[in-house]
Amino acid sequence: MRTGVIGLILSPTFPFLDMMWRICPALAVGCTVVVLVPPASPTPLLLAQLAGELGPFPGILNVISGPASLGPVLAAQPGVQKVAFCGAIEEGRALRRTLAGWVPELGLALGAESLLLLTEVADVDSAVEGIVDAAWSDRSPGGLRLLIQEAVWDETMRRLQERMGRLRCGHGLDGAVDMGARGAAARDLAQRYVSEAQSQGAQVFQAGSEPSDSPFFPPTLVSDLPPASPCTQAEVPWPLVVASPFRTAKEALAVANGTPRGGSASVWSERLGQALELAYGLQVGTVWINAHGLRDPAVPMGGCKESGSSWHGGQDGLYEYLRPSGTPAWIPYLSKTLNYDAFGLALPSTLPAGPETGPAPPYGLFVGGRFQAPGARSSRPIRDSQGSLQGYVAEGGAKDIRGAVEAAHQAAPGWMSQSPAARAALLWALAAALQRREPNLVSRLERHGVELKVAKAEVELSVKRLRAWGARVQAQGCALQVAELRGPVLRLREPLGVLAIVCPDEWPLLAFVSLLAPALAHGNTVVLVPSGACPIPALEVCQEMATLLPAGLVNVVTGDRDHLTRCLALHQDIQALWYFGSAQGSQFVEWASAGNLKPVWVNRGCPRAWDQEAEGAGPELGRRAARTKALWLPMGD
Amino acid sequence: MSAHQQGTELDLSWISKIQVNKPAVLRRAEQIQARRPVKKEWQAAWLLKAVTCIDLTTLSGDDTASNIQRLCYKAKYPIREDLLKALNMHDKGITTAAVCVYPARVCDAVRALKAAGCDIPVASVATGFPAAQTHLKTRLEEIRLAVEDGATEIDVVINRTLVLTGQWKGSDFIKTSTGKETVNATFPVAIVMLRAIRDFFWKTGNKVGFKPAGGIRSAKDSLVWLSLIKEELGDEWMKPELFRIGASTLLADIERQIYHHVTGRYAAYHDLPMS
Repeated sequence: MRTGVIGLILSPTFPFLDMMWRICPALAVGCTVVVLVPPASPTPLLLAQLAGELGPFPGILNVISGPASLGPVLAAQPGVQKVAFCGAIEEGRALRRTLAGWVPELGLALGAESLLLLTEVADVDSAVEGIVDAAWSDRSPGGLRLLIQEAVWDETMRRLQERMGRLRCGHGLDGAVDMGARGAAARDLAQRYVSEAQSQGAQVFQAGSEPSDSPFFPPTLVSDLPPASPCTQAEVPWPLVVASPFRTAKEALAVANGTPRGGSASVWSERLGQALELAYGLQVGTVWINAHGLRDPAVPMGGCKESGSSWHGGQDGLYEYLRPSGTPAWIPYLSKTLNYDAFGLALPSTLPAGPETGPAPPYGLFVGGRFQAPGARSSRPIRDSQGSLQGYVAEGGAKDIRGAVEAAHQAAPGWMSQSPAARAALLWALAAALQRREPNLVSRLERHGVELKVAKAEVELSVKRLRAWGARVQAQGCALQVAELRGPVLRLREPLGVLAIVCPDEWPLLAFVSLLAPALAHGNTVVLVPSGACPIPALEVCQEMATLLPAGLVNVVTGDRDHLTRCLALHQDIQALWYFGSAQGSQFVEWASAGNLKPVWVNRGCPRAWDQEAEGAGPELGRRAARTKALWLPMGD
Repeated sequence: MSAHQQGTELDLSWISKIQVNKPAVLRRAEQIQARRPVKKEWQAAWLLKAVTCIDLTTLSGDDTASNIQRLCYKAKYPIREDLLKALNMHDKGITTAAVCVYPARVCDAVRALKAAGCDIPVASVATGFPAAQTHLKTRLEEIRLAVEDGATEIDVVINRTLVLTGQWKGSDFIKTSTGKETVNATFPVAIVMLRAIRDFFWKTGNKVGFKPAGGIRSAKDSLVWLSLIKEELGDEWMKPELFRIGASTLLADIERQIYHHVTGRYAAYHDLPMS
């Protein structure tokens, strides 16, 4: 089902082509678009005029020319169902914070830096041409980080500098010119970066000499910048290339993945095995092998980490503008009085209800494959539907969340490298174990006030869901056909990493399992906060997981939901967060996700029908549980 | 032609370290043709430069003294006098770089050039052109005879048998092919050869020349070739000492382009003297 009205906000240096890449799929699936463009570019207005001349549908494309501060105003208009933003990372972050609670969906495509990895068995001359295309041409989106294997460092530098000598800067429309200018702001940014780099000890090589007041910034090569310097952490502006050496492929991956950005990268190597190893290991949205900058409408293009998680092109691009059918119309739930600094900060103190020796010893936290006592050494009582004490569960806090996330990260590489068959086998084993525990689980649910029939159905459905997701596990890649390219383009589906899930209060067991299963099936490790009112069925499942699953794969932390949500949302090393709680919590989660720009999925306080196939086990869950990577493999010998 | 190569020791490890990525080279070849178009008076200048680098060639079975004489005269006066006057280039000595003929016709070529008062070199193809599948003794004898007759440059066809079995030798120029193959001078092949020339120069300091031959017929192509040399090797190589284009009908197309530049009209073939 299509989304409705899309608001598109573009940054001052956007290329016209990028805008078209976003408008066309939106229009194609039936949405209407309002675009906010900076005043300096008249071309989109011309496009809107042409769109306006289409007889029967005059309003499908609207263009407003105005400053960036109009962005939140546009987003706050009633009826705007989604906002897509392309631009700088800091602006995207600020937008995420301002729009928490205002818009149903915010798609971010941030940053323009790309990476080029040059190994010693590459065709260096062709790689130099790739660098020119990537960084020193008018179609390059931003600066380039260049990683060169030490063995070919001198050779590459020499060829690069020779090649730079033949680049020509000039008026953009002159056919004989390689690069034009992109405005004073871009020029100043580049100049500042170069000055800072020089003050931090880097070598700067610039082709040709431009007078300092000319609008053209010459192609620049920066090398010998120490990795710990602040410049290497900042995004590389256009038209700069920052070169660093590496010794082995493993080191290359560590250096390449060592930034918060994850847009696109290319790997240059004539050894197929090595090239694929590097391509799979890079945490980026698009990888080209022995090429750079290839684009096609059929291939999805996007990023991960702080490059935002919105996609354009291919199937993923279309899904940006679609919602599952049956999603209720969005109602604004913004709470203007929500104090972000105070939300979930303090733990509410609970008086113990009677002697602490309850019916059973208190449940611990399930972290790292076993039950542990919480850091705060306190528990909270769980009452059943009649108000009598059912048991005690641990009161988890910030330290416990930290431990859980660490355990999840430790288990992640092992789990990611498991074959689909192994993952499926584990899920089926878990399903079987759950089935054996059925009487136990049913009685727990009954004590909580669920009718016997419904409880039985809940447990049965949970088992079925586990089996179903187990069956759906497969190496989810597919080869795309791209016109004009000889060779395949693979669309890979990779795990996100560590996924944090805050489970809803409705359907305490079913929702827990329905969220856990797709996350595991796609290769993620999870940290879960079970339902606050009825966490015990989830903890019973943990007892099974303790024996079946590798340690750290699933971690369950009980406690005050708001406090734990705060810890999870502010954690920089969680790759995605799913929150099914209150409206205020949803708003906080959206706001806090701006920290590392993790993709979030919130329910805005509306309950979800977990027993329905569409909402409880639909394809939406599978799509959100993994991220896409496009791998280009041009062929020829 | 520049001084003969000193040569170096054969080091096969240089060859084994070479990596060439074909799709990337194909992309670069396409790019070269599309970027940097040269227009107006600069195009005329580049075309004249191209003319000075042409090895005006005739290699057909029915070559005789008369068509050789015509060719040599055309080599001396490649562009019509009045067109050169209009460009103010009539006194710059614009001739082609050389004349390229079969060994048996070298005598005629030398005689015709002397009669025309021209001192451009006569190049001869030799060594069993075009297949080189003749005995070593006759191939060497061919070269000797051609040089005796007055040829100062020899286009040697290398023995492909030796190449395919890894036995190499050096030269002053490298040429894309004989021009008699099905696929001759294409841009991807040229890019790889030019990069090799540059590498050799960086390693040893020796400059080796480059000659594409076969299938170069349009003036536009000649401009792309020149810009390819300029991009990959630099201005030093854009001289007859280091760059030659082996062509025959190319000269006619260049002349027509210059005619258009000077007069603004398109010429018919009979407007311009034939070669």
